[in-house]
Amino acid sequence: MAKDFTTLENEALICGRCGYCRSSCPVYQVVGWESGAPRGKISKAKDIFVKGEKLSEDFIQRVAQCTLCGACANVCSTGIDTRELWLELRKRIADKGKAPEAYKNLRGTLVENKNISTFSNDDRLEWAEDLDEEPEGLELKAGAEVCYFVGCVSSFYPQAAQIPLANVEIFMETGVDFTTMGGEEWCCGYPLVSAGFVDDAQPFIEHNVTKIKELDIHTLVASCATCYHFWKHDCTKALEGYDIEILHTTEYLARLVKEGRIQLDELDETITYHDPCDLGRNGGVFDAPREIIESISGVKFVELRHNHADSLCCGGGGNLQSVDPDLAAKITDLRVEEIKETGATIVVSACQQCEQMLSTAIRKAGLPVRVMDISELMLEVMG
Amino acid sequence: MKDEVFQKIKENYNERATDSPFECEFYSRDLAPVPALLVNPLFNTMPDIVVRPASTVEVAEILQMAWKNNIPVTPRAGASTVYFNSVPTKGGILMDLNLIKGIVELDEEKMTVTVKAGTTWSELEEYLNNKGFSTKSYPTSAPVATIGGWFCMMGYGIGSIKYGSLLSQVKAVEVVLPKGEIKEASLVTAPALDWFAGSEGTLGVITQLELEVRPLNSMKHFLIQIPDTAELNEILNKIINAEVLPYNLHFSESNYNKGMKELGFGPDGIDGCLVEVDYEGPEDELTRAEKIITSIITDSDNGAVLLPVENAKEEWDERFLALRLKRGGPSQLGGEVWLPVDRLVNYLEDIELLDKRYKLGLVSYGHIVTSEHATVMTMFYSDETKTLNYIMDLSMVKKIHDIGHRNGGYPYGVGLWNTPYIGNIFQKPQLTELRKRKKKLDSKGIMNPGKVYRPPVLLNSFNFRIGMDVLAKINQVVGRRNRRG
Repeated sequence: MAKDFTTLENEALICGRCGYCRSSCPVYQVVGWESGAPRGKISKAKDIFVKGEKLSEDFIQRVAQCTLCGACANVCSTGIDTRELWLELRKRIADKGKAPEAYKNLRGTLVENKNISTFSNDDRLEWAEDLDEEPEGLELKAGAEVCYFVGCVSSFYPQAAQIPLANVEIFMETGVDFTTMGGEEWCCGYPLVSAGFVDDAQPFIEHNVTKIKELDIHTLVASCATCYHFWKHDCTKALEGYDIEILHTTEYLARLVKEGRIQLDELDETITYHDPCDLGRNGGVFDAPREIIESISGVKFVELRHNHADSLCCGGGGNLQSVDPDLAAKITDLRVEEIKETGATIVVSACQQCEQMLSTAIRKAGLPVRVMDISELMLEVMG
Repeated sequence: MKDEVFQKIKENYNERATDSPFECEFYSRDLAPVPALLVNPLFNTMPDIVVRPASTVEVAEILQMAWKNNIPVTPRAGASTVYFNSVPTKGGILMDLNLIKGIVELDEEKMTVTVKAGTTWSELEEYLNNKGFSTKSYPTSAPVATIGGWFCMMGYGIGSIKYGSLLSQVKAVEVVLPKGEIKEASLVTAPALDWFAGSEGTLGVITQLELEVRPLNSMKHFLIQIPDTAELNEILNKIINAEVLPYNLHFSESNYNKGMKELGFGPDGIDGCLVEVDYEGPEDELTRAEKIITSIITDSDNGAVLLPVENAKEEWDERFLALRLKRGGPSQLGGEVWLPVDRLVNYLEDIELLDKRYKLGLVSYGHIVTSEHATVMTMFYSDETKTLNYIMDLSMVKKIHDIGHRNGGYPYGVGLWNTPYIGNIFQKPQLTELRKRKKKLDSKGIMNPGKVYRPPVLLNSFNFRIGMDVLAKINQVVGRRNRRG
């Protein structure tokens, strides 16, 4: 169990270099060098930030080669919140003006567009054009029961558009009074924090929180595991004193199932579930998605070899794709091997990034396995 | 010539070999933060090249090249030790064995598993558990320690009290000898299996092992609180001498438990020493075990209390997390001692006296690993950022080992840093025999040089003793104020 993070220097000294983190780290499993293992990076961070050694390009690259999945924090024998440590390390590197070019470009895009794509933020709801009918109050409806925070990837990347479409269709079918922030939804800010530009994230947090308050929203639902985690854990200061419930779609949809607002048909499939790191291990939401899957009659549910807090990252986190897409893809391959072992016909996840990474790798491997977001699965079996 | 060999290794192993100073430097350390001031004048811990072979044949090929050209080779896998056991002392080739992993065969009839040496104990355990089996014993660093690595150390840990040392559970190993010859070693071969157990990678590279397994049984866990260390003997003796042997038996003294509490670890309301007893076996054995513990507690007139089963289960679940105490750092120093169980209380009392004298804040915990022996870790906080104070604190480690020696014990594991104690660790004939083996298999001394057999000149027993005692004296006179943080 990770303890409260103190300072980079102190935590680096506390590290006992036991190497438990090495065994759980997906990056080390692919890279294979000690420099790629969490204990190696912490050891070098100690040399640099405690003992005054020079910060090298090699080390900056290794620090960027991390999905921020938190598996190392989960096993750390001295209770170091290593995920916080990596974020602080990236911040120190950015503060020295030495962040990787890809991060700097990302910052430029975000500051200019307010989202991670090159599209105008006004196009946030373009995916909704694929709905048969545009729901009333889709954009900026004050006082709605729920505000659906779509997230940048689902908003702008066509391959992820099926997730907001499925969620909105479920909301419509079940009569949920919902809205979105439309073009007023800015990136949650996490990509900036995870690139080390912590201060740059602040205006994004403040903007989103201000809009939510202006709209008198008291339940925010996110389908992106990382947006959810960021809202829930990193926006607490900005939300202080404001009554709001932050939920991931898995939690909200499980609630609808429990309340009997959704009836699910039978499905004769073997399904496995991939825990997104920011939802599961880092966010503590394990049961809701499983409850939904197991509530579908006819489904045979099988766990992956690594599951719950011990889950293996899909490779898509921590801005890794922007600096080392090959490494990210090799990490996904490790997870696909585990999916193969289960004999599942459907792998369900609850994060558009996981879905994208897994879909690409499964397609490349030629496996007869469908990759679905939990919302897509639900929509498919809704009676 | 050496450069040509390194070049050849780079060509043969491509992305699995590197001579980048950035990469190599990560292999010049283990868990122990030893100041460069002490290390650099004496040793070249920086490998010239790191190579990651993926098969026995590749290991053999590298060793053949190294042998022919007199290049030192340091094998390394989990690198979870503190005595520089897998850190080079003369540069050369660092052989990272982590790619030699996987299960070769589980023989359910013979109740053995054949496993590649770079597999971690946790990986093997997970594999066996899924098939209804378990390893007979494993180290307390199972998540990172490898099968081959633990075999090359002394091989006592969790499960040893019931099932014996790892050596007693291993049927055969595949080993690549220093000249690059691949051999199988068993009890009847020459060289025999036991030559390699505890040899710390100085006689060759173990690449595969066949070891006994057991059925995966249910367990019962008990956590006993006793007022102070004086009562430890009685409780431990009753448990050890009962008709059912526990699978695991470990203890922590009150200062250790207090320190854990301060850091937010461990059960609430602990006051005194803790003894964790874990049994595994068929249901009837577990029932008998429960009666034994109940009767020990009932008959106890020394204030022993059985804590709730959830606490016992938690203590078991956290059996790999002894390092948690380091959180109170910034640094921690200590010594691990192999000790007769019947001297345990005397050892702890002597440690208490040392603590009073030097105000170190010493804490101890340990495992009973045979009916007669325990491994005890005694530690104290220090601050590696204050180099001179830290070096003076290193002298306190010798004081801990001196107390161990006075109580019939010796350092657990040799590596580099415990070579000054080899006169205590080995009897003279034993050391002569070990040196004979080394000469026979590795006459050029290329395998993991600097370890086990003799200390480097500056660390010979005489120099070491004088040096450490002077530092200890300074430490006592100067005092330990502001050592920590």
